[in-house]
Amino acid sequence: MSDLTPERYLAMYRDMHRIRKFETALELEFKRGNVPGMLHTGLGQEATQVAIAHTLRTVDGLFPDHRCHGLLFLKGTPGKLIMAELFGKATGICSGKGGSLHSADATVNNFGDNSIEGSFMVTALGVALGWKMQGEDRLVAVMVGDGTSGRGEWHESMNLASVWKAPVLYCCVNNGYAISTAVGFSHATENLVDFATGYKIPAEQVDGNDLPAAFAATQRAAEHIRSGKGPYFLEYKTWRWQGLFKGEFRPPEEVQYWKVEHEPIKLAREDLLQREWASEDALDQIAQEVDEEIEGWVKFAMESPSPDPNKATANVYAGWEDVQP
Amino acid sequence: MTIMTTVQAINDALGVKMAEDKSVYLLGEDIGWMGGDFGVTRGLYDEFGGERVRDTPLSEAAIIGAAVGSAMVGMRPVAEIMFADFLTECYDQLVNNAAKMHYMFDGQFRAPIVVRAACGGGFGGGPHHSQQAEGWFMNVPGMVMVAPTNPYDTKGMLIASIEDDNPILFLEHKALYGKKMEVPEGKYTVPLRKAKVAREGKDVTIVTAMKNVYDALAAAEKAAAEDISVEVIDLRTIRPWDRETVLNSIRKTGRAIVVTESPKTGGLAADLSAVISEEAFGDLKAPVARVCGLDTPIPFSLPLEKVILPDENKVLAAIKAQMKG
Repeated sequence: MSDLTPERYLAMYRDMHRIRKFETALELEFKRGNVPGMLHTGLGQEATQVAIAHTLRTVDGLFPDHRCHGLLFLKGTPGKLIMAELFGKATGICSGKGGSLHSADATVNNFGDNSIEGSFMVTALGVALGWKMQGEDRLVAVMVGDGTSGRGEWHESMNLASVWKAPVLYCCVNNGYAISTAVGFSHATENLVDFATGYKIPAEQVDGNDLPAAFAATQRAAEHIRSGKGPYFLEYKTWRWQGLFKGEFRPPEEVQYWKVEHEPIKLAREDLLQREWASEDALDQIAQEVDEEIEGWVKFAMESPSPDPNKATANVYAGWEDVQP
Repeated sequence: MTIMTTVQAINDALGVKMAEDKSVYLLGEDIGWMGGDFGVTRGLYDEFGGERVRDTPLSEAAIIGAAVGSAMVGMRPVAEIMFADFLTECYDQLVNNAAKMHYMFDGQFRAPIVVRAACGGGFGGGPHHSQQAEGWFMNVPGMVMVAPTNPYDTKGMLIASIEDDNPILFLEHKALYGKKMEVPEGKYTVPLRKAKVAREGKDVTIVTAMKNVYDALAAAEKAAAEDISVEVIDLRTIRPWDRETVLNSIRKTGRAIVVTESPKTGGLAADLSAVISEEAFGDLKAPVARVCGLDTPIPFSLPLEKVILPDENKVLAAIKAQMKG
């Protein structure tokens, strides 16, 4: 279990900025028409993602969801390869075949998003089962949203992970809404830990915008799983900045609280200063360095070639190159 | 050589692969100490234990998800979906995850799973225990469907399927479980994607699979008494099917009948018929004929079911009609 040292905290602070900058730059390029398809950002949820990234080892597995661009590069994939994938370029981590909703990197055990939300909760169960059967000391983190708890796979996965004591870390990012529908409107509970308790999976709820708290909880969960006790469920209460395509739909006081008063980078900055672990100047310096780094990734993506059209039919089957689609 | 039923041949293939390769394991409903609804896995639980012969709850999505996830990290799962009708419960896992895995991550991950499912009607199973499933998967790129018709092919093709790197739906027609023939002991394989000429003939070609191969052979025998020489092709692999063997036969005979138990609209028969017309139109002496299940659900009562499903008499009538064409 890692303690929250000044070095760790500052590294996490930097990573929150990297996510913030990555998503902001991506949004801009999306509006400019350089990023095809749909865009879901992790703006506002940086602390949660960073807490998870700093708990997972490279050998651990990750199933990222659609707001996890940050986790994709924090897991170890060079950020420019993620950015290029989101631009649909040949240099992307999946050669432009996956995009934002399907970016995987086998070399760092990122098993990719599956944008049928929650569907991959049973796939994560399978990876955990496979590693357990092979005697591997690894855990699998699966990122799910509050809306995902409506899916059958949520329940099938948690039930079997409990029965099989599978090393699954369920990371439920409860940002309050499944698109436009509030959690409490469409679910029997607003506290999704309630579901885990029913499946006899140890669970806790944590403020997902409070970085030290989120990190400590994630560390506790990982330690539980690594000691062979089976799955763990964490519910990170947070909030997404991105509204709907038609604009903001949430009450102004709610927006004010989450986006200003309880904003995760602001909270971490105040906390670091109060602990006297960094100066104002040092923190400003971090933000500036991150800006330059991410601009470099955007430049790489912009300048990368589009995929070769001849590759559109490649890799439908594994090892059957003779079958022409 | 030993005389085996199809059920015994499947059981033998599973035992051979499990003894040889520790990554091979089974999961499904009631496959453990009970040995499966059709007795296919009988004895394997005692031989290999509950870790490798896993009883699951009624969670078809989790069965396939766990299989896929574990396959992504090197396991070779063989999942049993008790009745092919229940494949709808894990349709998303097969269509959106297993079948797309290799393509959407551009070859980084494979999903070498085998999903065994008992299919087919004719025994009063009613609307939810009698269906053929292949039509549901015909237009799913990346999906492979294997459907042998005798114990020898079944054992060899199941071993070949377990060793293949693609997701394979292994369809077992219930009417064929009791077929008996001599089967070699130990390991051998029968290649995937190769159809078999089950009966040679020169006047008309019947292309079919599973139980309908026997209907076609019986009809061919009766037709022979009227001096009509019928060639019968047993597809063995349904998707992708063996164009070379099928088209060579039709170029020779100039007449084609396709027979499927599944409904006529939009399934295997439609695809066979379309490709034959596209590729061998100039060789055809008559339009391609389809003898298929009617476009209805399958009723429970046997006299009603008989109206719906193809049989040797319906095939014989089609042969005679073709010869008049």
